[in-house]
Amino acid sequence: MVADPAWSEWLAAAQEGDRRAYGRLLRAAVPVLRGWARARWPAASAADIEDIVQETLLALHRSLALYDPARPAAPFLFGILKLRGADVLRQRHRHSRRETPIDDADETSVAFDTNAVQESHVEQARLRAAIALLPPRDREILEMLKLRQMSLRDVAGQLHMSVPAVKIASFRAVRRLRAAMKWPSGTGA
Amino acid sequence: MAVGDGRMKTDTLLETLENALTPVVRAPSPGRGMLLWIAVTVPSLAAMVWMMGPLPDIAALLVRPEFLLVQGLAVGTAVLAAYGALCAGRPDQPGWKTVLPFAAALLWAAALGRQCFVLAIGGQGSALVVQPDLICVPAIAASALPSALAILWVLRRGTSFRRVRACLCAALAAAAAAQAALRLYHPDGTFATMLVWQIGSVGLWTLVGAALTRLSLPRPQPMRAS
Repeated sequence: MVADPAWSEWLAAAQEGDRRAYGRLLRAAVPVLRGWARARWPAASAADIEDIVQETLLALHRSLALYDPARPAAPFLFGILKLRGADVLRQRHRHSRRETPIDDADETSVAFDTNAVQESHVEQARLRAAIALLPPRDREILEMLKLRQMSLRDVAGQLHMSVPAVKIASFRAVRRLRAAMKWPSGTGA
Repeated sequence: MAVGDGRMKTDTLLETLENALTPVVRAPSPGRGMLLWIAVTVPSLAAMVWMMGPLPDIAALLVRPEFLLVQGLAVGTAVLAAYGALCAGRPDQPGWKTVLPFAAALLWAAALGRQCFVLAIGGQGSALVVQPDLICVPAIAASALPSALAILWVLRRGTSFRRVRACLCAALAAAAAAQAALRLYHPDGTFATMLVWQIGSVGLWTLVGAALTRLSLPRPQPMRAS
């Protein structure tokens, strides 16, 4: 564990409020802390190492009162790094289990449940708006045939129309619905 | 920018920390903290024994080796636990110091268990009878309170690391010391009763005390750049 012997003096001075000594200590400690972190967690990414170093510096700042100038500074800093580093990696691991990487997925991918649900809601809203634009008789015929799935004969009987007349009325209603929704003919409905 | 959510650059962090530096009062070392704890605990427990009235046969008890062994292990557990609690918050202290008190506590329970076993196989089957001894629970809590508050006061001055271990050790220290004092004013009953109620109360108050201590310790606040 290599550390400048002046670290103890700088830490003791920092406890007294000496900002210059503290700044010197922090700047001298950063590369050493990075080296220790890399040696202790060789599999950690560069971002993780930097996080660990930053967390160590923060913890050092909060724990300045705990340093005993009679003891060497390096084990104090290394102890903080070891404890905080383990916390950072544990937290990272815990978060990674709850997260799904989305970098490679298309923004409109149907892999996202929310997309499918959202699109279905949008389509339904468009359909309702288009149906509302149709004449009452067209709405009635579409509702009976498409929503309530009634047979042509039943619809004809209920509307006092012939079956061919219901077919023609239904064909026209669908055409008007497509036009209202601006769908090309031959699709949907 | 808060460190922890949006990550700031290390150079910016160094400047922030440097500018945020204020003089600090050094926290007492674990050794000094432990002396402070003993200075509060011993008189408070002595006062408790005096108030409750020591056992009439206390002089005879204090020369019995098995009594002294168990009391020694209880006191040893308490002292090691107090020291462990104060070391837990120090980054330059090894982790085994926080585990050692629990090994001592196991040894203490094992010594009591052994005495119970020896009496049981020696023909005194009554040693295995567990009698209700509910008074142990509040008595240990009341005796442990001053020493628990004393160690909490020291811990609040500097426990940024291994908080759970610190809290468990602190609660064990207070409960073990209280149990050692309890045996000076409360008749033991059978060994099984003592094992279940006294050691059980120590276990219970260690867990409850640790949870309360953890809630009482200040949580570290996120740094904010100026």
